[in-house]
Formats: sequence, C-alpha cells, structure tokens
Amino acid sequence: MSILLDILTTAAILYVVAAGLMIIFGVMKIINFAHGGFLTVGGYSTLIGTMIGLNVWSVLLMAFGTGFFFGLLIERFVVRPLYSRPLDAILATWGLGIILGQVITIVFGREVQVVPSPISGASELFGVSYSQYRLILVIAALIIAGGLTLLLGKTRLGLETRAVIMNETLARALGINSSLVRLITFSLGAALASLAGALITPLSSVDPNMGVPWLINAFMLVMVSGVSFMSLAIACLVLGGAQVLVSTYANPVLGGMTIAVLAALMLRLRPKGFARE
Amino acid sequence: MKNPGLLIALAMVSFMGTAKAQDAIKIGVPVGLSGANSVVAPSVVQAAELAVEEINAKGGILGKKVLLEVADDGSGAAGALKAFDSLIFQKKVNVLISMETSAARNAGLAVVSRGKTPFIYTSFYEGRSCNPYLYVNAWVPDQQVAPIVDFFMKKHGAKTFFLVGSDYAFGRGMLEFTRSYITKMGGKVLGEEYLPMDGSDWTSVIAKLKGAKPDAVITSTAGGAPNVTLTKQLRAAGVTIPYGNLAVDEGTAKSMGADADGIYISGSYLTNIDSAKNKEFLAAMNKKFGANLKTPNDLSVPQYEGIYAYKAAVEKAGSTDADKVIKALAEVSVDGPRGNIRMNKQRHAPLTMYLGQVQKDGTVTVIDVFKDVDPGDQCPNLK
Repeated sequence: MSILLDILTTAAILYVVAAGLMIIFGVMKIINFAHGGFLTVGGYSTLIGTMIGLNVWSVLLMAFGTGFFFGLLIERFVVRPLYSRPLDAILATWGLGIILGQVITIVFGREVQVVPSPISGASELFGVSYSQYRLILVIAALIIAGGLTLLLGKTRLGLETRAVIMNETLARALGINSSLVRLITFSLGAALASLAGALITPLSSVDPNMGVPWLINAFMLVMVSGVSFMSLAIACLVLGGAQVLVSTYANPVLGGMTIAVLAALMLRLRPKGFARE
Repeated sequence: MKNPGLLIALAMVSFMGTAKAQDAIKIGVPVGLSGANSVVAPSVVQAAELAVEEINAKGGILGKKVLLEVADDGSGAAGALKAFDSLIFQKKVNVLISMETSAARNAGLAVVSRGKTPFIYTSFYEGRSCNPYLYVNAWVPDQQVAPIVDFFMKKHGAKTFFLVGSDYAFGRGMLEFTRSYITKMGGKVLGEEYLPMDGSDWTSVIAKLKGAKPDAVITSTAGGAPNVTLTKQLRAAGVTIPYGNLAVDEGTAKSMGADADGIYISGSYLTNIDSAKNKEFLAAMNKKFGANLKTPNDLSVPQYEGIYAYKAAVEKAGSTDADKVIKALAEVSVDGPRGNIRMNKQRHAPLTMYLGQVQKDGTVTVIDVFKDVDPGDQCPNLK
C-alpha cells in the first residue's frame, strides 16, 4: 500500500515540477532550460518569505509572484528577440539558467540553506503511516492541474492560447496578439516553476543548484506528453511509477535513470508519446 | 669588463632567484572551493590563514616566512589532479596540508608520489588510505563509529540497525565498518541503502527503512545537501527512532533547526570543548575574522593543527627535506584545540572523540567523551 502512495505522491511532485515547462513548450515550441533556475528562485523566495515571517499561503504566493515577475523580464529581453530562432532561444535559456544559479550564489552564498517545513510527520492513511506533506502535494498537483485546465478551457486568454498552440500564423492573421500570449505563457511557466520550487523545499534542501536534477526529468516528461495536461498526468504516473518501482525493487541509482530511459524508448516506439492526437 | 650593466643585471636576477628559494616555506592547500565541499572550504582556508599568521608572527619556520598557496580541486578527482599538479610542479610547495573528498584525495595521491611531497590529510575519512608521503590527523571509522553504536545499544537497547549512505568511497567505507562493528557487538543490520552523491529523492530508501522497522538508523551521506534532504524527508515521513549521523558537521546540524533535534553526532571537535587551547583558538579566530568567521568545525580545526604539526616536524628535522620531514611527522606532537595529537599510529593519530546530541535550539550537548581512541590498523605496511 505504501508503495502505491509513493507512486502517487512521486507522480504528483513530478507533475507540479513539469507543468510550467510544458505550457512554455506547447505555446512557444521551445524548451525553457532555465526551468531549473526558476525552481531555485522559488526555493530561495521561500527562504526569504519564511525569514520575514510570512504564513504558508503568502510564501507560496510570493514564490509564484517572483517567478512571474522574472519571467516577464526574461521573456521580454531574452526570449522575444529570438522568436524566429527557436534553437538559439533554447540555448539562451540554458545560459540563463546558469546565470540565475550564479547570481543566487553571489547573493546567498553556496551554503545549503534550510527552510523549516510547515508540516512534518506522518498520518495514518489506509492502514499505513505516510508522510503528510507528500499527501498534501497530491492535492497541490490536482489544484494546479485543475487551475490550468480551467484557464485554458474557460477563459478568453486560454482560448487565444489554444489558437496560438494550434497554428500561430493563422491566429495572428485572425487578430490574436500572439506576442502577448507568449509573454503571459512564459511568465506563467516561470511562475509555476517557482511555485514548484517552493512546494518541494520541505522535502529537500535549498542550494544554488537545487533545480538542476529536476530539469532532466521534467524535460523527458514534457517530451512524451505533447501539450495535454491529461497526457502529462498519465506520463507522470507511468514514468514516475516506474521510477519508484525500480528504486524500491532494484536500486535507487537505476531508479534515477528510469524516467530518462523509458521516455527515450517511448519516443522511439511511439513518437506521439502519451498524447492522443 | 665589456658590459658591466649586463653583469650586474645577471647578478641581481640570480640573487633574487636564490633569495626567493631560500626565503619562504610554501604550504599548498588544495581544497574544494567549488563543488561538494564548497560549503566547508572557506572555514578550512580561514583555519590555515590563522595558523600561518600566528607562525609568521613568531618568526616563521626555521626563520623563514610561511606562505599559503590555495588551489581549487573542484571537490573531485579531475580537479584534484590539476590542483595537486599546479601546486607541486608549478608553485613548488614544500608540503600539502588539506582536507579533500576521498575521490580527490585518491587522485591527488598519485601526483604526490610522483612529486615526492609530504601530504598531511586533515579530513576525517573512511580509512585505510596509505602512501609513503601521507599522514592523517583526522579520525577514521574505527574511532568514530563505536561511540554511537555502543550508545544506541546500551542506552536505547537497540538491537537492529538500518544503514543509509551516499554511493561513494566515504559512504560505503563508513557503513562497511559500521556493519562489521554492529555485527561484532551482537547487533543486526536489517538493510543498507545508497543513493548517488547528488541524489535528493530518498523516497524508496525511506520506504524500505520503514518496512524493516529497525531500532535505530545510522547514516553516512556526503556532506551538505544530502544530509539536509535525507533528514527532512525522514522527519516528513515520521521517522523518530534514534538517528546517528556519521557525516554531519556541527554547523549544518545547527542550521537544520527543528529537523535536526535529537540527531547523534560523533567527532573529534566541538566548538564547546572546554579547554584553554580551544578557547584561545576561538578567540583568535573571532579576532581575525570577526563577522566573516565561518564556524570552526571537525574539518577545519585539523587543518590548523596540521600546519603546526608540519612546523614541529621541520624544526625537528632541521630542514624541509621530504624524507626527513616524513620521518619527523611521526615523532612530533601538537597541542591544539583538540588536545595533544601525534600521528604515530601507522601514519594516523589517536584522538579524543566526543559523542554529542543536537538539541532543539541548535546547540550540541556533549553526552560522552572518549580519550585517545586508537585508530586501529590503518597502514600495517608503513609501520
């Protein structure tokens, strides 16, 4: 039973981390390699937020806001000039990720910072004692998934975004301001990455490179998911589940590789990945 | 004389050259300024700087000024090769005194042998590293593990243990020794799990730990992030059994706050050691570095003592000749913050070990003191 909870919570954590990367990929067709850097930004804004004594919700909001703010700046000044050169844009985001890490090191130092957890300890669930915080992350993942689906499906911005995803040139011809859509999407992706960074701090340490290990897995998950939140959820469950099973029954070293290996295999056999169309 | 100017210039150059060679003693410090050890390296460099400043104020070594050459070994094998090479062959240091990760040390020893330069290793490690030029003034598992295991078995009545570590020489070496010690004392090891050094997801390891239901858990991860992630996730999962951490320093444990409450640590140095020498040392560090002081710890204090050990050895040998110094290092002793230390047991030193427990408020309470614990058989071939 506890291994099922492990799979569910691991999938939830992966989902929360990968969601931001996915919406940027879907709309702008570029992989934001600064994603790891934004995770780190979220971790450090949590550090600041807890140091100045904000409550949990304010801290999360602050992380989201900080990510959104930096996302706006970066999209406007780094990514926009490279619209017509997506490969260069990807390279630029990689460099950006490095810069973010180094700036954080300069400001905060290399030390591992510790952020106190809002909730610690385990609770009884289905007969097993399980980490409360990990269970909360499942709820967080559902809220994020729900929020994004509503945003995309029921708002004007969502409609325009879907149009840009389907066919940007046509959307612009119809009068949709695709630059604004891109700006908002990138900022939202950065904000989500930052929020994810904040959400994982109670389970990990805050240091200038905390986001890097997540980048590979998030990248692989996005590659096999296409642009659907549903297929991302399925990918997280399947690949995340495989990671947990391999880690538990074989060893954690192999487990760390599982997602990357399975994703590569999957793309070889079914290039669409988990996407439906 | 056809060209007096040229002759004078040549004379000056050769005078300067020989003057430089005879005037200073260079101590090379290859240390992880970047990479895994970057968190602890600043404290090590500060300890070295204080030692050199104090020695120079009293006239240096054999009347010569002491200079420090610090090089970044990137906390790993590749960087160590570069750092050791540049220190030994370019900067031509007389001795290397530093702490490194085991990976860096093992790589550096090859260069040390080639360069025939004495190397005083000041970091605790998994033991059994032997080289004709190597001396160690920090603890090995034979000195550090017993206090924790004995305490768990006697005071907590623990019979079954679960071991968790980082997958590299130190993690595996420490736990291998722990396992054999536990078995020797009549206990049982229910499981031994490792994660790569940079791994941060302990989910499956903790799942196995909870499934095995041990009486106590002992961990030996790489310093820094892995300690924090493992502790946080253990606490998040509600693990409250006695927790002995073989690889956390006082500073990291203190900064972990509430999560570190109750962790047992064992080491050869604690800032609250009640000795005149330690108080003198801490006062000098505070005076020199003030607000920039990095808390002295079990990795930085041996650096300070190591430099004094080298001074004593050179003075006893009467020269910086490598072979004479190597012989003298086993004979001299240093009176430092950790007490009187002599590296006379197969290149290693008997040390006084402290068993402490981290409290809620971040302080470390000393539970027991073990005087002059023997390092055991580390290098039987080096007498």
